[in-house]
Amino acid sequence: MTDQADLLAQFSNALAARAEAAKGAVVAIRLAHERHITGMMWRSGIVVASEQSLPRQDEFELVAPGGAIVTAGIAGRDPSTNIAILKPAEAIVSPAIALAEARTGAIALAVGADGTGGASARLGLVNLAGPEWHSSRGGLIDRRIVLDIRLARREEGGPVFDAAGGCLGMSTFGPRGQVIAIPAATLERVVPQLAKDGRIARGWLGVGLQAVAVPDALRDTADQSSGLMVMSVVENGPAAQAGIVAGDIILSVDGTSAHRFRKLARHFGADSIGRKAELRLIRSGAVMTVQTTIAERHAA
Amino acid sequence: MSQTASQLAPGERLRVAVHAVDSPRRVALGRVVAEAGHIVVGIGDAADVVLADGAGPPGETRPVVTLGGADDDLAGVLPRDADASQIDAAIRAVAAGLIVRFLGAREREAGFGAMRESEAHALLTPRELEVLAALAEGMTNKAIARRLDISLHTVKFHVESLFRKLGARTRTEAVAKASERRRRETITL
Repeated sequence: MTDQADLLAQFSNALAARAEAAKGAVVAIRLAHERHITGMMWRSGIVVASEQSLPRQDEFELVAPGGAIVTAGIAGRDPSTNIAILKPAEAIVSPAIALAEARTGAIALAVGADGTGGASARLGLVNLAGPEWHSSRGGLIDRRIVLDIRLARREEGGPVFDAAGGCLGMSTFGPRGQVIAIPAATLERVVPQLAKDGRIARGWLGVGLQAVAVPDALRDTADQSSGLMVMSVVENGPAAQAGIVAGDIILSVDGTSAHRFRKLARHFGADSIGRKAELRLIRSGAVMTVQTTIAERHAA
Repeated sequence: MSQTASQLAPGERLRVAVHAVDSPRRVALGRVVAEAGHIVVGIGDAADVVLADGAGPPGETRPVVTLGGADDDLAGVLPRDADASQIDAAIRAVAAGLIVRFLGAREREAGFGAMRESEAHALLTPRELEVLAALAEGMTNKAIARRLDISLHTVKFHVESLFRKLGARTRTEAVAKASERRRRETITL
C-alpha cells in the first residue's frame, strides 16, 4: 500500500513540477472583454498561437510569465495550418523547447496561460497519433494528433508535453470542440517561414474546383474515374489566361493525378510559384492539354 | 415580488447570486432575476445559481450562468445581450443540472478540421450536376428531359442515382445536400 501511495504521490509531484516548469513556456494573449487565449513561447523569443482564435488585429497585449505586460505585434499568420506568430516588443525569457513525437496512448500534459502570468494544466492521453492530413484550408499537417483532454477556450494555443517533457505541439480545437494538436514538426516547418515572410507562399491557378466522376464514355480515354471540375474561374488568374473555363474537368497537373485533391495539393507549394504547368483536362467530351504558369496565392 | 411575476414563473423559485463588477449592471440583472420570480441573494449567501456578468467569481463552485463570458467550464454561457426570458431559462436549466449554450456560439465550434472529400462512388457526374441544377430550379422530369435533350427514362435514372449518391429521399433534400456538399468540398486553387 505504502509503495503504491508513493508511486501515486510521485506521479502527482512529477506532474506538478512539470506544470510549474511550463509556466515559463506560456503567455496570455489578451482579447476584448477580459478574455484571453494562450500563446506558446517558441524559439528566438517568438510566440506561437492558434490562428483561428486570434482576432484580426496587428497588436496584442501579452501577459508574460510572472505577470509582466508586454505588447506584441503579429509577425505572420497562416490559416492553412492554423499557426500565427507574434513578436514581443521586449524579450520574454523562456526555457528551451525540446520537440517530441506523439504516440497513441502516451500521456499528454496540456498547459495554458491563466491570464496573470501563471499556468493552468490538463492531463490526458494522446487519443490518436495518425498520419499526415490536409486541413480544409489546404495546409499540410504532419500528423493527426487527437487529445483525450478537455480544454477551455483560454487554454487554446498552449504547448502539449509528453511524459518526458518533450513538446508534441500546440493545442487547438478541431471540429465539434475536439481537442487536437498542431504537431511540433508542423510548427518547426511553418514558423521559420512565417517569421521570414509573414505568410506561407502557395501556388495558385485561380479556380474553384469540385471533385466529379468522369462520365463512363470518357473513362478509358481519361484513364481515371474522377477529376476536379472547374466551378469558377478568377478573372485574369493563371487559369483564365490559359483559357480554362467553368465545366472543364482537370484530370492531372504535370502528370500528378487530380483524382484526389490531397495528392495535388503538394504540387502547389511555395516552390511551384512561377513554374510552367501542363494541365490535362476534359472539355466538351474530349481530353486535351493546356499550358499555364502557376502564380502566387494571395491571402483571402 | 409582484403577483404577475409569480404567475409568469410558476416553477421553482431559485436563490440566485448576482456577480457584476459594474454596479448599475448588477442592479439591472438583479431586477431581471427578481421579475422572473427568483430570489436575489448576496454573493456570499447560499445560492442555487450564480449569474455573472462576464467572467465568473474565481473559484466559484456553484453553477454559474455567464453573460458574455467565454469559459467552457461554466454551466451556462449566454451572450452579453441575452434577454430576460433567456436568462430565466438558463438559470432554471443550470439549477436542474443542465448546461446551456447559446445557439449562435455553435459557429465558433467549427474548429480547425480536415479537408473533406466524398467517397469515389458518391461523386456526381457532370450530367448529374446538370440534372441537379434543373432540380434546384424546380423543374419537372419532363422539363429536364426537354432541356437536356434526353429521354424521360434517362432523367429518372439520373435522379435516382443522385438520390443514392447524396443519400436523399426527396428532390428538395437532394438539392440541399448537394449544396451543402459543394460548400464544404469546393477547393480553391
